[in-house]
Amino acid sequence: MKLQHYIGGLENLGPVNLEKQVFVAKWEKRIFGIHTVMMAESTHLAHALPKYPIAQVPTTFKETWTWASLRTGAEGMQPFEYFKYRYYEKWLMGISQFFVDRGYVATEELAKLTEHYCANPDAPLPEQPNPVLKEQVVRYLNRGDSGLRAPVAPVRFTVGNTVYVADPEAADHTRLPGFLRNKKGTVTEVYPGAFEYFVSTGPDGLAGPQHVYCVSFDASDIWGADKCEPHTVIYADLFDVYLKPVH
Amino acid sequence: MTPLFDYDENREAASAAKVRALEALLIKKGVLGSDSVDAVLSHFETVAGPFNGARIVARAWLDSDYKRRLLEDTPKAIAELHFPGMDGAEGEHMKAVANSASVHNLVICTLCSCYPWPVLGLPPYWYKDPVFRSRGVREPRAVLREFGVPISAEKEVKIWDSSAQIRWFVIPERPANSEHLNEAQLAALITPEAMMGVALVPAPPAA
Repeated sequence: MKLQHYIGGLENLGPVNLEKQVFVAKWEKRIFGIHTVMMAESTHLAHALPKYPIAQVPTTFKETWTWASLRTGAEGMQPFEYFKYRYYEKWLMGISQFFVDRGYVATEELAKLTEHYCANPDAPLPEQPNPVLKEQVVRYLNRGDSGLRAPVAPVRFTVGNTVYVADPEAADHTRLPGFLRNKKGTVTEVYPGAFEYFVSTGPDGLAGPQHVYCVSFDASDIWGADKCEPHTVIYADLFDVYLKPVH
Repeated sequence: MTPLFDYDENREAASAAKVRALEALLIKKGVLGSDSVDAVLSHFETVAGPFNGARIVARAWLDSDYKRRLLEDTPKAIAELHFPGMDGAEGEHMKAVANSASVHNLVICTLCSCYPWPVLGLPPYWYKDPVFRSRGVREPRAVLREFGVPISAEKEVKIWDSSAQIRWFVIPERPANSEHLNEAQLAALITPEAMMGVALVPAPPAA
């Protein structure tokens, strides 16, 4: 059991933080922007819908970088560390480590330049615009990266079917909320087409295009009738591999 | 900033310096242009943001046929309005759900922070905080009370956990005494929180 997969339903965490700002410190904007540019110039977009002209974009970035990369990193953190750092602090740690691990940036040069900007917070960034990359960033933001694919297997469930949620091995990354494992639900929608997640999640089960179902769960079937609020229904969108028929 | 983020001053200064150093190195090495990050940020000021969602909801309030189409086929109904980028990043597959006298909807992402970018922009801090993601699926009414939204035990609460391709948003209930308002005036009342289900839309000041 990996704690990051089981956030839903944890108790004893105290009041909700009502902070409405998107970025609670100015620097957070920059790491959000860096991550989004990486997604926009990721090599996998050459095969995405639409087929982006990634090979023609002048960049030295030759990597696949998607939401799955960021999520896998966050799910791989030691759980106490995960709770210790704020949302974009985790992004900054994960993304800078990625560039070090992949050899784009040396630990020492990053440390040295960080010291420089610590001492001179207003020192400018290098001026080196890249209009073709900028165009690709705008194109990606406007056209997205849909996982919609042609189905390769028949639909296994129809609306109204009772299903059980599988309990696959805890892998590096999952799209199955932990609190739903082994629970009983009802299919409320079969989404047209099939969807391919950015990566295979190995023993967790995501690989290639799969049907996705919207499944409803009565809160009492998840938490127990005396441990939940009444008249509460939870809906989750679940990939085919996460569902089992009731026999 | 709230007290939770009141770390010692160096923590923020160190992060600010590190992200600047990282961006500088990536520009020098040709991974980014010096205009790349700004291009992303400007998209969320001008193209993708809660101003779109608010206009869509206001239209649905004024036109019950439009509301029906929005609930039946969300992307198609949004496309009728000709806003740019509406099936762009994190909005490739969106669905709207409607609050009513008998149902209150709450959108959540217990695994990460999935959010419908084209119509709502970027998620506010509370949506990404582990406490909301934990408690929202277990004690939604208690969480909603903390947001100042009382929901009775009799009213059904539907929680939408964004775990695959769909990005959900809520059509809140139209406030009372808003009959005299036009679409733009109605849109001005609608917050991102209302379109995620953690706020109601307040009645406008008397005309």
